[in-house]
Amino acid sequence: MNPDPNPDLNPDLEKENRILQKKLARAQINLTQIQQSRQNTETLLTASIKELQQSRQVLENREKELEAALLHVQSMQGKLLMAEKMSSLGVLVAGVAHEINNPVGFISGNLEYTEKYTESLLHLINLYEEQAKTQAIDPVDPIDRNLDIQAWCNTIDLDFIRTDFPRLIQSMKMGSERIKEIVLSLRTFSRHDEAECKFVNIHEGLDSTLIILAHRLKTQPDRPAITVQREYGSIPDIECYAGQLNQVFMNILGNAIDAIEEAWEQPKLGSSRIITIKTQLIEQTNVPPDDLPNNLQSIGDHHPPQCIRQWLRIRIKDSGRGMSEGVRSRIFDPFFTTKPIGQGTGMGLSISYQIIVDKHHGRLDCVSAEGFSTEFILTIPTQQTSFRSAFYVDLANGSTNVDL
Amino acid sequence: MFKMVVGHSDDPDSACAIAEVIEQCLESLDGETPQAGLLFSAIDFDYALILKILRQTFPDLELIGGTSDGEVSSKLKFQEDSLTLTLFCSDTVSIRAGLGEDLSGNINQAVECAIATAEPRRDTQLCIAIPDGLSANGVTIIKSLQSALGPEVVLMGGTTADQWRFEKTYQFYGTKAGDRVLNNSVPILLFSGNLRVSHGVASGWKPISRSGIVTRSDGGTVHEIDHEPASDFYHFYLSSFVDLTSTRLTGEYPLAVFETETSEDFYLRAPLSGKYQIGQSVTFMGDVPQGSRVQVTHGTGDEVIAAAQQSIEQCYRHYPGQKPSGLIIFSCSARRWLLGPRTPEEYDLCQTVLDPDLPVSGFYTYGEISPLKPKGETFYHQETFVTLMLGVE
Repeated sequence: MNPDPNPDLNPDLEKENRILQKKLARAQINLTQIQQSRQNTETLLTASIKELQQSRQVLENREKELEAALLHVQSMQGKLLMAEKMSSLGVLVAGVAHEINNPVGFISGNLEYTEKYTESLLHLINLYEEQAKTQAIDPVDPIDRNLDIQAWCNTIDLDFIRTDFPRLIQSMKMGSERIKEIVLSLRTFSRHDEAECKFVNIHEGLDSTLIILAHRLKTQPDRPAITVQREYGSIPDIECYAGQLNQVFMNILGNAIDAIEEAWEQPKLGSSRIITIKTQLIEQTNVPPDDLPNNLQSIGDHHPPQCIRQWLRIRIKDSGRGMSEGVRSRIFDPFFTTKPIGQGTGMGLSISYQIIVDKHHGRLDCVSAEGFSTEFILTIPTQQTSFRSAFYVDLANGSTNVDL
Repeated sequence: MFKMVVGHSDDPDSACAIAEVIEQCLESLDGETPQAGLLFSAIDFDYALILKILRQTFPDLELIGGTSDGEVSSKLKFQEDSLTLTLFCSDTVSIRAGLGEDLSGNINQAVECAIATAEPRRDTQLCIAIPDGLSANGVTIIKSLQSALGPEVVLMGGTTADQWRFEKTYQFYGTKAGDRVLNNSVPILLFSGNLRVSHGVASGWKPISRSGIVTRSDGGTVHEIDHEPASDFYHFYLSSFVDLTSTRLTGEYPLAVFETETSEDFYLRAPLSGKYQIGQSVTFMGDVPQGSRVQVTHGTGDEVIAAAQQSIEQCYRHYPGQKPSGLIIFSCSARRWLLGPRTPEEYDLCQTVLDPDLPVSGFYTYGEISPLKPKGETFYHQETFVTLMLGVE
């Protein structure tokens, strides 16, 4: 139905007019709608912004709480590290005390005899001295002291003193040599004077650790000694943080002894009491790719294995009863321990892992199965400086063929 | 052969508009006789008159359609207060119309009746449904239709609208036996034969509010979110300073519904527009399952418009042929509400990816019907831009 029958009007104009009228009406409705829409949007966004501000405040508070918690954790970690150090120090002190006690014992025991022998000999000298004086006053008719001298010689058993005194002195010399040796080992072990990365003889480090642990390896009243088989290869001096590396040896060897003692208490598991220490040098070309340290594998193509020519590998194996896969997979976790409360901080192997992997760019593996032995395998580059140089030069150049 | 032609008039006068539309269609038909058609009309037209004139021109036409919140076509692009007619001709595809009535009384019965009158075949490929957008639960209608048709039939469409008045929408159904203007009904078109179809779905809305769990709901009525009245959840975000006791809700801020607490995929549910007092339930134009996680969403104009292009790109990507014959758009009226004067940009952006010769028609609905992915389950959407591409080549 056409609303305007006026034939004089142009149909196109009529249509245009109808459309415009309709659009005008629609525009008014739309305007109201848009106003309402805008109002809604404003309130929605205002509320959302308010919520975001609240969320931000919550986050800020959370951040502060986390910072406080982090500080607390760091403080606790410091205390734990200190506890671990004290624990290691306790083992060390016990070992040293035990080791020094023996030589000091026979030095102090011999000192009593030395004093007695010296007194006797000095009295004998006095008697000879008096004899000599009387001969000087009256050479014709001197007072005969020979009987006194002879009697004194019998009293003190001069022949025995002649034999025993040098032995006694020799024994004390040996004792003091032993103490000197222990003190040297202690120094080698602690390496407090060598905080920097230096070339050292790794075997000396292993041996000094064994000396400190010797009291635990020796025959005990209720059990035989633990045999340490050293299969040392021909190894050059290794560039490392020696004191820290010795701490690793201490942890691993200490655990090895613990494992053997635990196994001893369960005789059906076997009575062998052996720790084997093997050292070997590995040329880079002989190392299969999956045998490389973890952190090198992750470097991938950007860090060719050619950069490192030699690796030191130390295998420390005990004849204990091994461990389950569940335990094995967690031994490097901080605070993980299977020892009774108070006997382990759970930080020893965790710190060892950091020392080998982070500090020495190496790898620390544990091969073990329940009922069988446990072997720790330490692999570190023989030269830390070349490793770092190669790494940084490689990164800087973006090259895959750096050969330093 | 399959041909789709489109006529579109923005003349507010019903007789002039349908005359113009028919003229455009006849020209495009070029002597072909259409089997079926889709008629989308703005709310203020004289529908009976339009159907009468249309029937005079195409006496055997199987027709469905309804009132809309905006119309779109390759002839006049996006228009408000306009009339579009889409006609289909084919010698290999059979197209039949069906009608189900009294949706609010018995949805299943209405759906069965609609399918029965459209005489489905073993090779039925596509069903376009234009149900009432106000009188019944869209989710239930879709489940009932898909269940009756079987999973092989692609189910698409949109619910009728009334220009955001939420009073009454109208559906059209016509065969050579006669034409009807209805409420509370579900007219459908069934396409059988060698038809190829693809579809696209995208919205552009993004969750913005805090998450809440629907702790009590019944169908589309959400009583409680986080054990608090549902309107309070919206009230926090949408109450005005002028009126602190109620919130005016519109489809502009749909809820993103995540069916599980951990789900990342969501569909949208628009609230029925109105003023909600504090402490009230909120009714949505589709089910919101109890236990689902919900967030109020917000869409910027740019994001909403970009979704149109994404939807069409999905259509092209999944179309199982080389040369589609036409594209039908079912876009949500809430998109038009949000975009306002920018609404034409939706179609303008579509044109940048569409074949310029491809006939396009469509309308703005109160709920879109489409699977989320090819051969997937059909969902009831809101705030979404759904596209249907069809042809035989």
